Amino acid sequence: MAVTKTSSVPDMVVLSGELWQELLKLVTAQYKVIGPVRRGSEHVFAPVKDPRVLDMAYVTTILPPKKVFHQPFQVLFSFDAEEGTLAEAESGEEKVVWGIHPCDMHAIAILDKVYGVEYPDPYYLRNRENTIIVAKNCTEIGEDCFCLSMGTGPALRSGYDLLLTDLGGRYLVEVGTAKGRKLLSGLDVPPAPRVVLVEKEKRLSQARQRFRKRMVTQGIQELLEENFRHPIWEELMRECLACGSCTMVCPTCFCYNVVDKMDLDLKTGRRQREWDSCMLLEYAQVALGQNFRRDRDARIKQRIYHKLLYYEPQFGTLGCVGCGRCIGACVKRIDITDVVSRLAESVESER
Amino acid sequence: MSTKPKVSVYKLSSCAGCQLEFLNLEPVLLDVVGAIEFSYFPMARRRYEPGPYDIGFVEGAVTCGEEIEKLKKARQECRVLVALGSCACYGGLPSIKNWTPERVIVSRVYENPALVHSIKAYGIDEYVQIDAYLKGCPINKEELVEFIKGTLLGTRPYLRPHSVCVECKLNEYECISIIRREPCMGPVTTAGCGALCPSRGKACDGCRGPANDANAESLARTFSEYGLHRSDIVRRFRKFAGLTQEFSRGADAV
Repeated sequence: MAVTKTSSVPDMVVLSGELWQELLKLVTAQYKVIGPVRRGSEHVFAPVKDPRVLDMAYVTTILPPKKVFHQPFQVLFSFDAEEGTLAEAESGEEKVVWGIHPCDMHAIAILDKVYGVEYPDPYYLRNRENTIIVAKNCTEIGEDCFCLSMGTGPALRSGYDLLLTDLGGRYLVEVGTAKGRKLLSGLDVPPAPRVVLVEKEKRLSQARQRFRKRMVTQGIQELLEENFRHPIWEELMRECLACGSCTMVCPTCFCYNVVDKMDLDLKTGRRQREWDSCMLLEYAQVALGQNFRRDRDARIKQRIYHKLLYYEPQFGTLGCVGCGRCIGACVKRIDITDVVSRLAESVESER
Repeated sequence: MSTKPKVSVYKLSSCAGCQLEFLNLEPVLLDVVGAIEFSYFPMARRRYEPGPYDIGFVEGAVTCGEEIEKLKKARQECRVLVALGSCACYGGLPSIKNWTPERVIVSRVYENPALVHSIKAYGIDEYVQIDAYLKGCPINKEELVEFIKGTLLGTRPYLRPHSVCVECKLNEYECISIIRREPCMGPVTTAGCGALCPSRGKACDGCRGPANDANAESLARTFSEYGLHRSDIVRRFRKFAGLTQEFSRGADAV
């Protein structure tokens, strides 16, 4: 994409205090903004009208920002069976998603391959095209985060329209695209001196020291292939509640179910899709009640093997971005990094 | 004579809260009445029309011999027979008594136990084959309407078979189990309520009975880690669906 300079907005600015507030005010006044806000003791991405509710210090959210593009419930079209007519669902207005972390940005890059390459999905692509992404590098690391080992954080290199880095009371704002530059066009600020990049790198390398979780990805394919039968799967089968939370909160899960919602006249209605999950028993059920993954351990393995083994041939990347949501959302604290390291340890001790 | 599908609503041992939900459909009730004929619905209509009926909804648990007779007659006169609410599905709240001797239960309430001839409380599929389960205490109105629409169209209505957690996540409700360490039944309970209790900040009570592949033993162990006494864990699993295989495993787990 050619970056055409609108007015004289520099590629890199530092905003603090009033200027930062002014940017937030300008953007929320001009666009529908979706950003991190508190919900109880957790956070969610939600529409933001008043920038004061934005909580830029959030560590993670219940659902990933994936939900803006691949929506939990999406109406595909409405229909009238008697008239034999269809009406496409209207596309939403242009919006800004504010403060997406690098792990979730990498997840969106994976979804772009899922929904944009072999079978382009018009609904996803439309949501993607009319959205401006303001990403934010991570300077605070959550207890379940392990993006560092997945190579997906805490710093972002590409894919954003604007990129924020918290320099402590002031934000470094880097322009990625013309769409991003447009957001800054109402501000009159000088370009930031190159030396702020040193400050940025300092904060990010401090963040890299603070990771408490890691996943060893070297040789992970062989490790999983060789341990399809391992006592750990039976143990997980006894523990796992099969509730589906891990997949519901995953930023790279893309499965959905399609349901027709009829009106009471039994003639008109809407076709709608909603998120589905391979952790749920009914997912692999086919005609006459046959089920390909009746056993819970088969479904647990499907989740972990898909993320860490089967994504690679499908999409050329691992399917896990290290956001840690599946760990945080599990009532039984089943931990994908722990499963992998225990497999590795057991192989090690056999040698 | 109306050509609309004829519907009957029966009541066994219950509080009538589930059949009340038909009347609580008020915003769409006229549309519903436009699509079906309530031919036998004592709570709502004084006039009864004789069977056969197209859809029969049975509310309540079976707790005495007369109810078995009534239920078998209902099965005979209805093309589609539906368990309406958790009492009809699993025995529901009345089934709490099932783990205490009948004579003790009866004498707790009645002065003269000789006049009472109740039996253990069962869901209706203990006695007759049924075609669908509408779970919940009470049932969910949207699910009821979905069911009616599907039946009229001859399609399988989408009744969520999975856990309440899925609906909590889809709606981004704060996790009451993880954040507050409260004994939430959501991970093993059938969704379809829209995660109603968690949406109001209350742990799921398990009123809709076991979800697909519910792992109640594992959840019982978690409740124990949360500091719940064994007897409280048993009560949690026996409140609405203690007779089901899944929840009885939860009650026996610790």
